[in-house]
Amino acid sequence: MNRFVIEMEGITLHKAKNILLDHINLCFSEGEFAGIIGPNGAGKTTLLNVIAGFERFTGRLSLFGQDQTWHRDRNITIRIGYVPQVLEIDRSFPILAYEVVLTGCLGRTGLFRLPEKKEKERSEEVMEMLRIKDMAKKPFGRLSGGEQQKVILARAIIQEPHILLLDEPASNLDMAVQKEFMDLISDIHKKKGMTILLVTHDFNLLPASLRRGILINKGKIVFDGDIRTATSGEVLSALFKYNLETFERNGKRFVSYD
Amino acid sequence: MIDTIFDSITYLSIQRAVLASILCGIGCSILSVFVVLMKMPLIGVSMSHAAFAGAVLGMMLGVNPFLSGLIMCMAAAALLGPVSDRTDLVPENILGIMFSFLMGIAFLGMGIITRTKADALNLMWGNMLTLTETDMWILLSATSSTILFILLFFKEIRLILFNRRLALLSGIPEKPIYYALLFLTGIVVSSNLTTVGGLLIFALLVQPGATALQLTYNLKLFFIIAIASGVSASISGLVLSYVFDVPAGASIVIMATVIFTLSYIFSPKRKG
Repeated sequence: MNRFVIEMEGITLHKAKNILLDHINLCFSEGEFAGIIGPNGAGKTTLLNVIAGFERFTGRLSLFGQDQTWHRDRNITIRIGYVPQVLEIDRSFPILAYEVVLTGCLGRTGLFRLPEKKEKERSEEVMEMLRIKDMAKKPFGRLSGGEQQKVILARAIIQEPHILLLDEPASNLDMAVQKEFMDLISDIHKKKGMTILLVTHDFNLLPASLRRGILINKGKIVFDGDIRTATSGEVLSALFKYNLETFERNGKRFVSYD
Repeated sequence: MIDTIFDSITYLSIQRAVLASILCGIGCSILSVFVVLMKMPLIGVSMSHAAFAGAVLGMMLGVNPFLSGLIMCMAAAALLGPVSDRTDLVPENILGIMFSFLMGIAFLGMGIITRTKADALNLMWGNMLTLTETDMWILLSATSSTILFILLFFKEIRLILFNRRLALLSGIPEKPIYYALLFLTGIVVSSNLTTVGGLLIFALLVQPGATALQLTYNLKLFFIIAIASGVSASISGLVLSYVFDVPAGASIVIMATVIFTLSYIFSPKRKG
């Protein structure tokens, strides 16, 4: 019995003459919470895009025990939730926050059917959990960056994914909101038990429940293992080619930029 | 005797003109919502030029201009879809190149046509008073299929317009619906060559949507406002053209601009 929800074998991706991903081998089991860490341009987002089905690749990718090409069936697509780094949206777009959340149900609802009461209740529950229920009836474009990101997270959760991909979800938020956002993600992992891959370059924000760290640079995996080893000063300094120091306070590890 | 026949013909053509401007207003306004919310105003330009070039070519070759215009629009849609999917091309540039190329073809065709230049010019700004029964049926089917499409796929369309990537992630048939939107634009544009013409229709493919954008955050209301402003522009434009004896296409476009300007001045979204 195969317990891996994601298996990657020799995943390689070229664009023009650049190698974006170079023979990536990775497996993730059900309910795992992993951080994918690396400098800009390392291939972190591309890796998530391969899993989500946005990029053509060579190599073997298996999701939920089924081999995949870049093209996905609907029943696979709806089991993957994705929160992109920045969402290009028009601030005056006519859509309300709760309507954005409800779009997460569309794949399951199917064509020619409207969301039912059950789905509306579920969206209210999720919005309550993420503390955005008050702004449900506000236009999405009128929300702050943090609120918008929570709405997009709620949208992904209501899709009931088995895999949740988060691409630097907090990078555009201020520090207090970043912290709150990461705590919410920790909560979701605890409550829903989904496999979560979190892409980031900010180690100070890694939630305590995140155990596995994958360091990636120039399309290659340079470290895969315990997050505490991954975020040690030597490993990180080598990765970023910059002298980084780590220190601990109240049982949490912090990285300082020298 | 001759007078009564003449009167009844005028009556019939005025009836048709009114009906046509309503249908044109509805069809174009619905599409303008897509054009505005996808932030690709050049889709309208390219489509109208494709229809125009196709129709002129059709005239040259002795093919039904609507048919050749439609074929050209379909070809343009088939090209636009993949172009807008690619990240390594700036769609605006490609659209700009495409529509100037099509305009070149159209004028080349007009240079070659010697006998029926007036007909070709009619395709540029249309003529509401010379619509045939076939024109009316084409217009009616184009507009009603657009309405039907919106009603059937409203929630999917909303998500696609909001963000195509999220639409893809939701597991809805994003590509087929997106392409259908492009093809519908082509159908509506080419069916309106006879009413407002290939040159001026572009205005009706932007202004109703742009007007609604000033006024509401509710997409259902958005469609209704767009349709209301598009239809009132085309009806009031028709009346003006009748009163001042100017081409209807021109007065419709001017009215659409007036309505947009008013909505911009009184926009609650801009103030809040």
